[in-house]
Amino acid sequence: MALMQIAEPGQSPLPHQAKLAVGIDLGTTNSLVATVRGGRADVLADAQGAVMLPSVVNYSAEEGPVVGAAALAMASAHPEDTLVSVKRFMGRGRADAQNDAQRSRYRLADSESGMVSFVTSAGEVSPVQASAEIISVLGERARESLGGEIEGAVITVPAYFDEAQRQATKDAATLAGMPVLRLLNEPTAAAVAYGLDAGEEGVIAVYDLGGGTFDISILRLHRGVFEVLATGGDTALGGDDFDAAIVSWVLQELDIPSLEPGQHRALHSLARSAKEQLSDRSSVTLAVEDIVPGAGQATLSRELFEELVHPLVKRTLRACRRCLRDAQLEGVGDVVMVGGSTRVPLVREAVAEFFRRQPLTDIDPDEVVAIGAAIQADILVGNRPEGDLLLLDVIPLSLGLETMGGLVEKIVPRNTTIPVARAQEFTTFKDGQTALAVHIVQGERELVADSRSLARFELRGIPPMVAGAARIRVVFEVDADGLLHVAAREETTGAQSSVTVKPSFGLSDEQITDMLQASFSHAEDDKQARQVAERRLDARQLLEGLESALGEDAAELLSEAECEALHEKMRELYAATEGEDVELMRRLTDALGRASEAFAARRMDKSIKQALAGVSLQELDEEINE
Amino acid sequence: MPTRNFSQNYFQLFDIPAQFEIDATLLGQRYRQLQQELHPDRFAAAAAHEQRLAVQYSAFVNEAYATLRAPLKRALYLLELGGMTQEEIARQQLDGGFLIEQMELREKLESLHDLVDPDTVLEHLVAEISGDIKVHQAEFETAYQASELPAAASACVKMQYLEKLLQEAEQIESELMER
Repeated sequence: MALMQIAEPGQSPLPHQAKLAVGIDLGTTNSLVATVRGGRADVLADAQGAVMLPSVVNYSAEEGPVVGAAALAMASAHPEDTLVSVKRFMGRGRADAQNDAQRSRYRLADSESGMVSFVTSAGEVSPVQASAEIISVLGERARESLGGEIEGAVITVPAYFDEAQRQATKDAATLAGMPVLRLLNEPTAAAVAYGLDAGEEGVIAVYDLGGGTFDISILRLHRGVFEVLATGGDTALGGDDFDAAIVSWVLQELDIPSLEPGQHRALHSLARSAKEQLSDRSSVTLAVEDIVPGAGQATLSRELFEELVHPLVKRTLRACRRCLRDAQLEGVGDVVMVGGSTRVPLVREAVAEFFRRQPLTDIDPDEVVAIGAAIQADILVGNRPEGDLLLLDVIPLSLGLETMGGLVEKIVPRNTTIPVARAQEFTTFKDGQTALAVHIVQGERELVADSRSLARFELRGIPPMVAGAARIRVVFEVDADGLLHVAAREETTGAQSSVTVKPSFGLSDEQITDMLQASFSHAEDDKQARQVAERRLDARQLLEGLESALGEDAAELLSEAECEALHEKMRELYAATEGEDVELMRRLTDALGRASEAFAARRMDKSIKQALAGVSLQELDEEINE
Repeated sequence: MPTRNFSQNYFQLFDIPAQFEIDATLLGQRYRQLQQELHPDRFAAAAAHEQRLAVQYSAFVNEAYATLRAPLKRALYLLELGGMTQEEIARQQLDGGFLIEQMELREKLESLHDLVDPDTVLEHLVAEISGDIKVHQAEFETAYQASELPAAASACVKMQYLEKLLQEAEQIESELMER
């Protein structure tokens, strides 16, 4: 990812004439802008004093798009014209966006570029355009507060963003007339905000618990080099789940059987506010009767709240443990907290206990990413003498190949530092096979059917050999931008073929984490499916081998009855391979194997006789002794 | 583009002694120094062939670092430098006692699902397996230093078994996560 291009040298400003630069956190739910003034990094507020700009754009007004809280207020009246969470659609193709769009009830348009766009009263709007509106508002806010033109911005993106999503983010800034100094990964920005840059050294965990997602990143910092050691997370886990836990408790406690959709939304807001109050108070009373007439009120103590959300917090710690293990570490030097949900005291305590470190919470967890971006922007426009940061990134999902029976062979495991080159040898599966289909897949699951298909190509011109004799070397190369190049070459003849793919094109950060999640939760399914695939493969190999042997020798070596008996068993086994019954396949494969033993023995005899025809015993002895 | 000799082995690349015991801090420092010089981001404005070289160099350095950083990979690499092939390593005979211990550990892992508090037990098991790995690492080191490659290889195979178990423990942990 072209994150770390260096600011042009020789462009440093005159002394004491600081250039204006900002950091922008372009978030899924809220966006912020920050800057460095007088050596201090601060977020900038709008005229009403609000720092957070809801990432919402409404296109129903005649005078033009409305952004922020005003747009959010129009959401229920104009659902199709109010775009929320456009970040989820950045840099995505239409097919990829379809599911998300259905969930949020947007109408999608076919755009020429193949990228997604929405149908609104103001015409077709792309996620890039909507994001540009948000950046414009933040840019305007910065110009007004700082009283001058902005030199440029550092914009943050999730560590998981792929090339297309990064490009879309850049395009949005360009469209908004905001020069992009650099795109910066969110966890890196958070680390920079805590001054964990140039001078500092050590390992930092960035624990980011937002409204709907959880991300954990472990970085090592050493003399300006940020090395991403591992990333992980859970997209189906966030502060919204805390609110939901309170809501279910209220329903149970007050014996409320069901809610109207409007009541449900109102109860969620009530739960959220209760959660927020419990950060400073020991108990809070929820006036549920204001929402559900006659329901009464419920008093929630902090202890009980903590009991309710404890399983959720525990899930984040499991992800932390996995991430630490992926990073091959026992502990970290510092823990940085990001995201509003890290205000919950239980979260802080649990994280402190897990990492055996008091987490850094001095900077507002909603603002820390924007502040880090502002500091980096300040460095890039030359306001600070500190040197540049180098980021050593990792691939978030494993890359592999389809092998026999629809199984995945992982070639580059997740969290491998890029650039990387890895090779693996494969061989042919059938006698006389002259081509090999190379199917490149991404994900953690064991079956191709459950992984994401990235590309396919064919290696042709393999000379006919017996199965297993060809030596095909497949090389995976991922460059520093995350671009994957795969080449296959048959070693004995030099036949070769290759393809270049963007490994994560069109995959959202969410999909990536969903896929990770799925691989964890389906480990059991995978085992079962793998067994089925292996059994099926065994059975089909036996059938194929027998088929060709019968074609050659049945007439000569078998009676009609013997031949029919074998065919009968082959049909049974073939039918079983169409199903999923592992045990049946195993039994029938064994039975067919035994039934064909006599035939195999006769064939063996015959081929030995053929091989020996015209060879003297002495020659045979010599051959054997060689 | 700085020129470097990439025919040297990984230990020479990082200028550290070719032995099992390594100074991880020093290795990390040398790794980051090399990446500071070689990383393609440092050649963003350079000619295409130089960028291509930077990618190859940087990938080579990443591979070398990944190999030396992980004890098992490092041990296997030392055996390889000592002239042993992968097949020779895999052929090492293991004592029956070790295999029985393996089976017992695996049984414990498999019975986790039925426990009330699997997390604590899992944590203990992982600690036990990690402890065993450390024992075999020490065994490897002693044998390797004494140039007893077959004995070193046998310790390596044991480490492989135990790493496999750790991976299975991780799978089980993910399954527990979903409960």
